[in-house]
Amino acid sequence: MSTFLGLKHRLRSLLFPAAHAKELAEEMQFHMELDTMHQGETKKAAIRFGNRTYYAEEVRRMTWLGALDVTRQDARHAWRGMLHSPAFTAMVVLTLALGIGVNAATFTVLDVLFLREPGGVQAPSEIRRFHVQHFNTGDGVPFYTQSMNYLMYREFAAAVGDPAKLALYSTDNSLRLGRHPRDPKVRGVYATSNYFRVLGAHTVIGRLYNEAEDRLGAGSPVVVVSHRFWKTQLGADSAALGHTLDVGGTKHTVIGVLDPAFGGTELQASDIWIPLAMFPAPSWVTGPWWEEKFNMNGFRALYRLEPGMNENQIVARATQRIRALQRVINPVRPDTQMNTFSGTLLEARGPGKQGYERLISTRLGGVAIIVMLIACANVINLLLARAVRRRHEFSIRLALGISRSRLMRMLTTETLLLAFIATIPAVLAAWWGGTILRQLLLPDVQWYDAALSWRVVLFAFGTALLAGLVAGIIPALQASRPDLNNELKSAARSGGGHRSRLRTTLVVMQAALSLVLLTGSALFVQSLRNVQALNIGFDAPHLIYGLVNFAKGETPPKAVVDAALTDISARLRDRAGVVSVARGWIEPMRGMSWMTFFTAHDSSGSFKHGQPTTSHVSPGYFSTVGMRMLRGRDFSSAVSGSVAPAEVVVNDAFAKRLWPGEDALGQCIHLKTIDAPCSVVVGVVENARMNKVLEDEAALQFYLPFGSPGGVQYGELVVVRTNGSTSIAANELRNGLRAAFPAGEPSVRTMSESLEPEYRPWQLGAKLFTSFGILALVVALIGIYSTVSYSVAQRTHEFGVRIALGAQLGDLLRHVIGEGVRTVLLGVGAGVILVLAGGRLIASLLYGVDASDPWTMMTVALTLLAAAALAAVVPAWRAARVNPLTALRAE
Amino acid sequence: MPPATPRSGLLPGTLDMLVLRTLSLGSLHGYGVAQHIEQISNGALQVEQGSLYPALERLQNAGSIGSKWGKTSTGRRARYYTITAKGERQLGKEIDSFDNVLLAIARVLGRAEKA
Repeated sequence: MSTFLGLKHRLRSLLFPAAHAKELAEEMQFHMELDTMHQGETKKAAIRFGNRTYYAEEVRRMTWLGALDVTRQDARHAWRGMLHSPAFTAMVVLTLALGIGVNAATFTVLDVLFLREPGGVQAPSEIRRFHVQHFNTGDGVPFYTQSMNYLMYREFAAAVGDPAKLALYSTDNSLRLGRHPRDPKVRGVYATSNYFRVLGAHTVIGRLYNEAEDRLGAGSPVVVVSHRFWKTQLGADSAALGHTLDVGGTKHTVIGVLDPAFGGTELQASDIWIPLAMFPAPSWVTGPWWEEKFNMNGFRALYRLEPGMNENQIVARATQRIRALQRVINPVRPDTQMNTFSGTLLEARGPGKQGYERLISTRLGGVAIIVMLIACANVINLLLARAVRRRHEFSIRLALGISRSRLMRMLTTETLLLAFIATIPAVLAAWWGGTILRQLLLPDVQWYDAALSWRVVLFAFGTALLAGLVAGIIPALQASRPDLNNELKSAARSGGGHRSRLRTTLVVMQAALSLVLLTGSALFVQSLRNVQALNIGFDAPHLIYGLVNFAKGETPPKAVVDAALTDISARLRDRAGVVSVARGWIEPMRGMSWMTFFTAHDSSGSFKHGQPTTSHVSPGYFSTVGMRMLRGRDFSSAVSGSVAPAEVVVNDAFAKRLWPGEDALGQCIHLKTIDAPCSVVVGVVENARMNKVLEDEAALQFYLPFGSPGGVQYGELVVVRTNGSTSIAANELRNGLRAAFPAGEPSVRTMSESLEPEYRPWQLGAKLFTSFGILALVVALIGIYSTVSYSVAQRTHEFGVRIALGAQLGDLLRHVIGEGVRTVLLGVGAGVILVLAGGRLIASLLYGVDASDPWTMMTVALTLLAAAALAAVVPAWRAARVNPLTALRAE
Repeated sequence: MPPATPRSGLLPGTLDMLVLRTLSLGSLHGYGVAQHIEQISNGALQVEQGSLYPALERLQNAGSIGSKWGKTSTGRRARYYTITAKGERQLGKEIDSFDNVLLAIARVLGRAEKA
């Protein structure tokens, strides 16, 4: 009770200072009057009381408001000081703004990946995802995935204990509101009815679908929409319930609108939710999709960890069950090492292979901190230099009796004020930078909120506070401890032995950190170049391909499509700039298809992994896409109808594998059945990438003439090779396709466009680390420049003496520049150690170059030294031009 | 230790103790406390009276005393201070430590037996 009384009193004096002062005055007045009465005269009473104003101030100083007084005083003084030296203020503010801004910008991305849990979910920290680790992989390397099929879901549900507690869902961000490829896209989720209950999501209008509507094989065509979807697409109509949505050809009735905060569980917010039982099975599935053993993956499961549930037990049970399941569904090669893991709702925090966005984001965070350190070092240097200029002022203050802690408080307030002022441009920079970073790192995610949220602003202020304290403490300590005697005498000539050691250390640190960042960027640039230089087998910059997408069930008959495309190809061939045109069935590197085959020694079934894939191509395809024919020749003509092809072209890896040591030309392959007629190998073509730009092993592939039966049809593809600009030919192709198929949606792209996502990680790494590295270098160079300038200015006297004693211009230059370079050299050494130690942090992001590559480090070190030397030249020059007489006389 | 008001002429901290002791005998207004200290000490302890008010503020901040506006016997408005339970405890502690200091000084001066 008594403690609250004290607190109440303090709060009252803080919140109502005027009332507090008035009451005190009244009290003191009353006291004086009584005493006057007793003493008989006012003067005696006044003497006995003492100085009223003094005591009133004492009382005020004891209130919390009084404590603020000091800070207000300091802040006002600091503000005036800043206005008096605008250049200095601008320098400090900009440097701090840079450091803070860079960190805040990186924070916007890291926040979304790691910190911000999906909205509208109740107690999101209790939600758990299931992750599975597979060992039966194509290359033997185990990988994690959340993806599972329905059979596995049943096992996991049993492991959790109650199937009602485990929700299963599948996200499809390429659904369309209609059957036509031109209809608007919508992001949908097929989810079990318990999904909403597990997550704690609820509706604001209407209701959610229940178990009865989500029965496998008998699902109800209903849909629940997000609040945002309801507002933008359904016009926020309160009578939206009962409205029908055509989702990919099936009509669904809207039965509910979710609360505004809820957007699903993925990074990208979803628009509509449909019962899982309505999941549209792919065309190749025969029988119920929920009983498919293979290839029916893509579902994810989550549950809520309730009190009483033991996570470890659940995971152990789940592992046991899916291993048992493996033995049942995959008796030939069960994955008996399969493992289950539990992850949190935020995927970036969960187990599994770190996507490059996560890797780059975290590394960028580290880089941002380094930039902040460099900026702080600069600010410390600037503040130290300024403190030296003001040492006269400080000495007088100290001599007059200010306590050391009070002086330190004053200086720290100054720095904090500078830091907070710097927050304003920093927040703006973070907004701009954060938007760009989002675009670069997570371009497929549509951001609904601005890059600037209150969290980012709060983070920026927090960083500013930290930076201000870090940068302000050392100069404050230094300034409050000068040698009074010396300082009060006329201007000291010393730079102060210990003081310049501090500045040198700071420069060394800046140089080391700059080396680290620049080495990083050099490594990334090299990785990018290495990746771009890879021979992927296709001549990507010159290739365009086009195909037409039709609404489900509206594809024209094959003969019609074939004729139209032949026509378009013929017309394109005549165009200027077009070298050749060919036809195919699958976009290169976009899909695979398999076909059973038999040879004398082998069959497609005998490949444990890396089974050969096949593709149907027209004559001239290889030369069009840029695959060199190593031996033999291309197909003689396209084949049509159902005749088994007489000619086959294989790639080099296929030839070496199936006929090692022999000549592949003339060998036979029997397609589909062992007694099919011989398809002769007429050509061996160079290896090309199957799926990704980075493939360690060459994929085995064989090619069949266009028009022969078999394989999966992916769409009729036209490939065009140009020898110049691709845009004209691309437009021609697009127009031609549109004219020929008015009902369809043409899709024409250059190969470079479609490969862009593959190169993106390295491009990103190179772009981002280089910009940050250069930024850091500029800041560091400014630091070196100012340090050298300062030390030169301090040693004017010394240089005067040297010149008077006969030193030449060259000697002085060498001396000053040499000193600067020596300092930076120390920094380079420290930086090299840091690079070697921290190399493995970015090793996974590099390609073709080692994190500790000596040539890179040496080049960067030499560049840094050269830049440092340049930065030191100007002050050195000034030092050398000192007039010895002026210098000797000056004090 | 609260900072010494340079004009009180007392050892720092003793003013608080005296005020608490005074108030433990009954509620008083500020002038009443000053009078009491002066009278009971027969004028030997003459505190500059204004220094009472920072001490009172300090004690209120600590929750050792509470204050309330009331009326004097003559009908004038005055602020009356009352000691709280916490204040009583603080008083006990301060008296103890004060006694210890006195004993120590006495020993040094040879006026008391060594412990």
